[in-house]
Amino acid sequence: MIEFDDVTVRFGAAEAVRGVSVTIPAGALAVLVGPSGSGKTTLLRLVNRMATPSAGRVRVRGEDVAAADPARLRRSIGYVMQSMGLFPHWSVARNIGTVPALLGWPAARIAARVEELLALVRLDPALAGRRPAALSGGQAQRVGLARALAADPDILLMDEPFGAVDPIVRRELRAELTRIHAATGKTILLVTHDPIEALELATHLVVLREGQLVAAGEAAALAAPPAPPFLRALFGAEALALRRLSLLRVEGAALDGPAPAGAPVIAPEASLAEAWTLMQEHGAPVLAVGGRHLPWSALLPR
Amino acid sequence: MAPTWPRLLPAGLALAALILGPDALSLAPNRLMPGAPLSAHDVLPGWAWLAVPLLALGAAPWRLAPLAAAGALLVLLAGLGAGAAALLDGAAPAARATLGSAAWVALAALAALVFWPGQRRLLAAALLVLGLGVLAWGGVLDGFSLAVEFRARREAVGAALATHLWLSLSALGLASALASLLALAGLASARLAAFFDALLGGVQVVPAIALFGLLVPLLAALLGAFPGLRAAGFGAIGATPALIGIALYLSLPLLRALRTGLTATDPAVIQAATALGMGRGRMLAWVRLPLGLPHFLGGLRVAAVQAVGLVTLGGLVGAGGLGALVFEGMSQFATDLILLGALPVVALALAVDAGLGAMERRA
Ligand SMILES: Nc1ncnc2c1ncn2[C@@H]1O[C@H](COP(=O)(O)OP(=O)(O)OP(=O)(O)O)[C@@H](O)[C@H]1O
Ligand SMILES: [Mg+2]
Repeated sequence: MIEFDDVTVRFGAAEAVRGVSVTIPAGALAVLVGPSGSGKTTLLRLVNRMATPSAGRVRVRGEDVAAADPARLRRSIGYVMQSMGLFPHWSVARNIGTVPALLGWPAARIAARVEELLALVRLDPALAGRRPAALSGGQAQRVGLARALAADPDILLMDEPFGAVDPIVRRELRAELTRIHAATGKTILLVTHDPIEALELATHLVVLREGQLVAAGEAAALAAPPAPPFLRALFGAEALALRRLSLLRVEGAALDGPAPAGAPVIAPEASLAEAWTLMQEHGAPVLAVGGRHLPWSALLPR
Repeated sequence: MAPTWPRLLPAGLALAALILGPDALSLAPNRLMPGAPLSAHDVLPGWAWLAVPLLALGAAPWRLAPLAAAGALLVLLAGLGAGAAALLDGAAPAARATLGSAAWVALAALAALVFWPGQRRLLAAALLVLGLGVLAWGGVLDGFSLAVEFRARREAVGAALATHLWLSLSALGLASALASLLALAGLASARLAAFFDALLGGVQVVPAIALFGLLVPLLAALLGAFPGLRAAGFGAIGATPALIGIALYLSLPLLRALRTGLTATDPAVIQAATALGMGRGRMLAWVRLPLGLPHFLGGLRVAAVQAVGLVTLGGLVGAGGLGALVFEGMSQFATDLILLGALPVVALALAVDAGLGAMERRA
C-alpha cells in the first residue's frame, strides 16, 4: 500500500506536486496519467525517496518513508526508468543481479535468480553475457524490468517503461506486465502517456494536472461512460470507447459461420480491444474465433 | 592508405644530409675538444651507399616501405660505424670519432620514415631493434665516441636510469594520491573543486626550475623547525624538493582526468544506480570508476610522460637520475655525456607513451 497524504513538492518557487492525497491499495496496478510536466515522475520518485516532500507525508507499507534508510528502502522497491539507465560496462546478467548483489546474496543464488528472471521477462538466456549496447530497444526494456524485479520487491515503480519501442513490442511488453502482475500480486505504480496503454493496464487510475490531483479511483468506474470531460479531453473519445471494448469478450460478439481462409485467429476469451488491435496490426477486417468469425462491424456499439 | 607525398620530406632530408652535409663524422683529439668535420663521402665505405636505394624504397608507396627504411637506417649506421673504426685505426688512444649533424639528421629522418603513422610499423620496429642489437653486439658501433663514453660510464648510466625510473614512479604515485584526494573532495563541493583547479593551475604557471628553487629554502626552513624530518630521510636538496615539485605539476592533469572520468558518467546511469539503492561507496567502485577508466588512463599517460621529462630537471637540485648526467655533460661541454643522459630520457618517454596509449585504447 502506498499513501500520499497532502503532499507538496517545491523546486524553488515552482510547485511540481500540490497537496496530493491518494491511496494506492496493495496489489493494484495504478496508472498515473496527465499532461507533460504535471508532476507524474515527481510523484513516483516520492515513493522511493528520490524526491523529498516539502510538506505532507508519504507512507509505504504503512511507514513514513522519511524515517526509512534511503538505500534499504530503494532496494525494496523496483524502479524502471524511461531512459532505462542500464550499466553499460556490465553484462545483462550482472545488470539484472544488481540489487541482489547489493543485498549480499551468494553468487550461486544470484545466478539462479537471473536465470529465472530471464525466463519471466522472456529474454533469450543467450543474451545474458551481452553488454546493453548490443541489445534492441525492446530487449533493453525487458532487462530494465527484470532488474527492477530481481529482489522480488512487492512494489514496482515504472516511469514510461515502454517508451522506446514499436507498437507491436509495446503490446507484447504490456501483456507481459499484465501477466506478471496477475501472477505476483505486486503493487505497481506506472506512468504512461499512451491512453490506450493506460486504459488497457490500469486497475486504478490517478489523473494529475499541473501538480494537482484531478481524479483517482478504480479504472472501470472512472472510464465507464459517460466519462468525465477531463478524461475525454486527456484520452480522446476513441480510447474511451476502446476501454469499453476491453470489458467485452470476443465470444459474446462473434457470429456464426467460418472466417475466410488466412484470417488471424483470436481466443474466445480475449477482449474486443485485443481483437481491434489484432485487426489493426494485420490489416484484417475479419478474425477467426474457433469455428466462428468476428467481423469489424461487430465491434461497433449496438 | 595515408597520402604518400609527405614521406618524401624526410626521405629528401636524409638524402640531402648524406650528399651535402659537411659533417657525417668528426675526429677529435680527445673527448672535450671539437673535432675536424668529415663528410659522408670521406668516411662511408662503398657498400654503405646501399642505404640510398633502400631509402628510395622506404619512401615509395608500397607495403614494405617501413621495412626498407629500417634497412636503410641499419646499413647507414653500420657504414658510419665502419668509418669511425677506420678513422680511429692508427690514431692516438684518446682520439674520438663523433657522429656529426649530417649523420644525426639522416638517421632521425630515416627513423621518422620507419615510424611514419598509418602503416604496419610493428615488423619494421622489430627489425630495427633486432638490427641495432646485432650491430651493438658485433662491435660495429664501438668506434662512436658515444659508445666509448658509455663503456666508460656503464654503471653510472645504469644507476641513473634506475633512479630516474624510481623518481618518476614515486612522483606519479604521490601525485595520484594527491589528485585522488582532491578529486574526491571536489566531488562533494563544486566550489572546492574550482579552488583546487585554480591552485594547481597556478603551480603550472611557475617554471619547474623556479619551483624547485622555491622549494629548497622552504624545505630548509621546515627541516630547521622539525629536525626529526631530516632523520626520516628528507632533505632540502636532492629527491625531496624534486618529488614535491614534480608531484604538484602532475596533479593537475591527473585531477582533470579524474574529474572528467568521475563526472562524465551518464546521469541516467547514476540515477538508476541511486534508485536501485547503491550508496556513495558502491556507486564509486561499481559505476563511476570503471566507467571513467579510459579518462583516467589518458590522464595517467600525459602525467607519466611529463614525469619522465620533469625528473630530468630534478638533476638540477641534486635528485640524480638521467638529468644529472645531462647537466654534468653540459658543465663539461661533453656532448657525448649529454646524449648519454638525453637519449634514454627520450626513449623512456616514447616507451611510456606507447605502452599507456595501448592500454588506453584497449580500455
Ligand atoms: N529536479 C528538479 N528541479 C527543478 N524542477 C523540477 C525538477 N524535477 C521536476 N521539476 C519540475 O517539476 C514539474 C513536474 O515535473 P515531472 O517530471 O514530475 O513531470 P512529468 O509529469 O513526469 O512530465 P513528463 O510527462 O514530461 O515526464 C515540471 O515543471 C518540472 O520542470
Ligand atoms: Mg516524467
